[in-house]
Amino acid sequence: MEVLVELNHVSKSYEAKAAVRDLTLKIEAGSMFGLLGPNGAGKTSTIRMIVGITLPDSGKVTLFNKPWASASLQRVGYLPEERGLYKKMKIIDQLVFLGELRGLGAAEAGRRAKSWCERMQMADSINKKTEELSKGMQQKIQFISTLLHDPELIIMDEPFSGLDPVNTMLLQDTLVELKKQGNAILFSTHRMDQVEKLCDSICLINRGEAVLSGGMREVKSRYERNRVIVQYEGADGFLNHPAIAEYKNYGGHAEIRLKPHADAQDLLRTAAATATITKFELVEPSLEEIFIETVGGRADA
Amino acid sequence: MLRNTLLIAKREYLERVRSRIFRVTTVLVPLGMGGIALLGGLGGKKMEQGIQNVAVVSNDAALAQQVKAALSRGEQGPKNVEVVAPATDADLARLNEEVTNRTIGGYLTIDDTGGRDSLQATWTSGSATDFIGKAEMEGGVSDGLVRQQLLARGMSDSQLQALMKPVKLKTQQLRNGQVVSSDTGKSFAGAYALVLVLYCAVLIYGINIARSVVEEKTSRIFEVLLSSASADELMLGKLLGVGAVGLTQMVIWAVLVIGFVGSQLAAARGIHGLASLGLTNVELGYFPIFFLGGFYLYSALAAALGSSVSAEQEVQQFSFILISPLVISVVMLMYVMQNPSSTLSVVMSLLPPFTPIIMYMRICAQMPPLWQVWLSVALLVASVLGMVWLAARIYRVGVLMYGKRATLPEMIRWLRYS
Repeated sequence: MEVLVELNHVSKSYEAKAAVRDLTLKIEAGSMFGLLGPNGAGKTSTIRMIVGITLPDSGKVTLFNKPWASASLQRVGYLPEERGLYKKMKIIDQLVFLGELRGLGAAEAGRRAKSWCERMQMADSINKKTEELSKGMQQKIQFISTLLHDPELIIMDEPFSGLDPVNTMLLQDTLVELKKQGNAILFSTHRMDQVEKLCDSICLINRGEAVLSGGMREVKSRYERNRVIVQYEGADGFLNHPAIAEYKNYGGHAEIRLKPHADAQDLLRTAAATATITKFELVEPSLEEIFIETVGGRADA
Repeated sequence: MLRNTLLIAKREYLERVRSRIFRVTTVLVPLGMGGIALLGGLGGKKMEQGIQNVAVVSNDAALAQQVKAALSRGEQGPKNVEVVAPATDADLARLNEEVTNRTIGGYLTIDDTGGRDSLQATWTSGSATDFIGKAEMEGGVSDGLVRQQLLARGMSDSQLQALMKPVKLKTQQLRNGQVVSSDTGKSFAGAYALVLVLYCAVLIYGINIARSVVEEKTSRIFEVLLSSASADELMLGKLLGVGAVGLTQMVIWAVLVIGFVGSQLAAARGIHGLASLGLTNVELGYFPIFFLGGFYLYSALAAALGSSVSAEQEVQQFSFILISPLVISVVMLMYVMQNPSSTLSVVMSLLPPFTPIIMYMRICAQMPPLWQVWLSVALLVASVLGMVWLAARIYRVGVLMYGKRATLPEMIRWLRYS
């Protein structure tokens, strides 16, 4: 797969505070990349270096296999975290202006703006002014303005914040579709549960440093499936099995954490011998748990 | 580079020209100005009319008649002259009352009972500082005496009329090789007009540019814009766009003024074309150059100031900084008018913030060497571009650093962007 973005040992600090430290990452075409981390971890700083709003103090940013150049930005769609539109300007004029700024002709920009507004179910708002629209509607307009010029690389900083579930789904579906068409999508969020099912690759950052990165499957496979959910009928004596580190028993439903490298299959055999098992699931750790485990461990160290 | 700049300029221009406030001010400002001019005209007219009704009181009825004739003769003299000769105490009491309730402007008392040499004339009027009345009455009494003497020497009334016909003196001035009507008030009309127009333009449109920069900062649009265009393009586009709005409005107004000046209405008030306003062709030619130079320099300064603040309220506070060079120029105007070639005048006229007004005043007063004029224009243009560059730097750094001030090496690294 073609690599669209490459950061190579990039660092950026503001006065005494290091925003990004020695960050290296790659984003491939046709993939969704999640830049994850808590607030203030350096996600926005990283993105700003990719779109050239700030320059790295050291390290290299490569876009479309070329050293960073402003000309490359016509192939990038960027939705910043702090959104802004011209309050008094009509939606259609605004979209055409932003489209033109990214290299489209006025007529083409207008045509695309209309079809996108229809797709986003807001065709009747295109002649309104920004200030007449709700926050969620404004956010959709910004979403459209980011995609109008059909960018190969789409960068979205916290794209779902402030959206209701219906619009969140609409946006997610659109992004998935764009990914299928071969576009690369980078988004940053601190809501890890939201992106778990969307991302192909992730980079978890904390205090400006990458703590975990790689393909989603690969990252997850590095962590043991050490949580077990059991639904049973009958005796609960199997909960004293030596493989179990701790458990919560809700009566017929138990959530278990295993000791490291414990034998889950032996636990299943023991449980099946004493009770009727209706469900026995080895649960994959969630990104959030992985993050807390990783960062928590470092914070302690 | 150019495409983005023009796009941004186009957006700023169209959004503003389409706005209601633009239409309202375009119509209201000339109406307001017209109103002010009309009021001024009324005041002037009242002055010219002078005193309408007067009375002449004398023991010598023949002399009083001649004074009346002398007073009524001029175009601007009183319309009604009542002769009370001789006057009783009751007459005087009545006249005093009429002066008090302003039915007459005043009365003239002439007493020649002691003979010609000890003639006494008194002008009694309702206002304390009635210089015009006093001068007019003095003329009236003197002329009246002459008329009486000439008539006594057997001159006919028509001969007298011809002899006493007043001569009107016309004045004109030679400036920049062109004859213009001379009127100290009008001599520097061009310079004063430039000051007024520039001052208003900077206050209205310069502040607009600052506001527009602050608006983008507070609504955070800049982040989207900066990911598609450079800060230089943004600033230059903004300056050209908002500037063009101001120029559009001023051209509309200028057309109205020129239309008025050439009209019958103006001719009726003694204005015949721009030359009668005291403007020579040289002055007219330089006017747009210095106006545009000044306008763009101050607008760019406003953009830089707008970039350095974070809230709209702060814009008001720095409007003082913005206009202070203009205020200094205005203070220096008198001095430059009288000493157009002194070292101070020359130096000031070459300093870009003062160039528009000071150099233009020098041109109005006495044409400076051409190299100085064009050097000042070149410096002005260079400083406009420099200011745009600086504004773009401040915008980019000030806006993104969230209150953190940029260090010098950081500023230098910004320059690497194309």
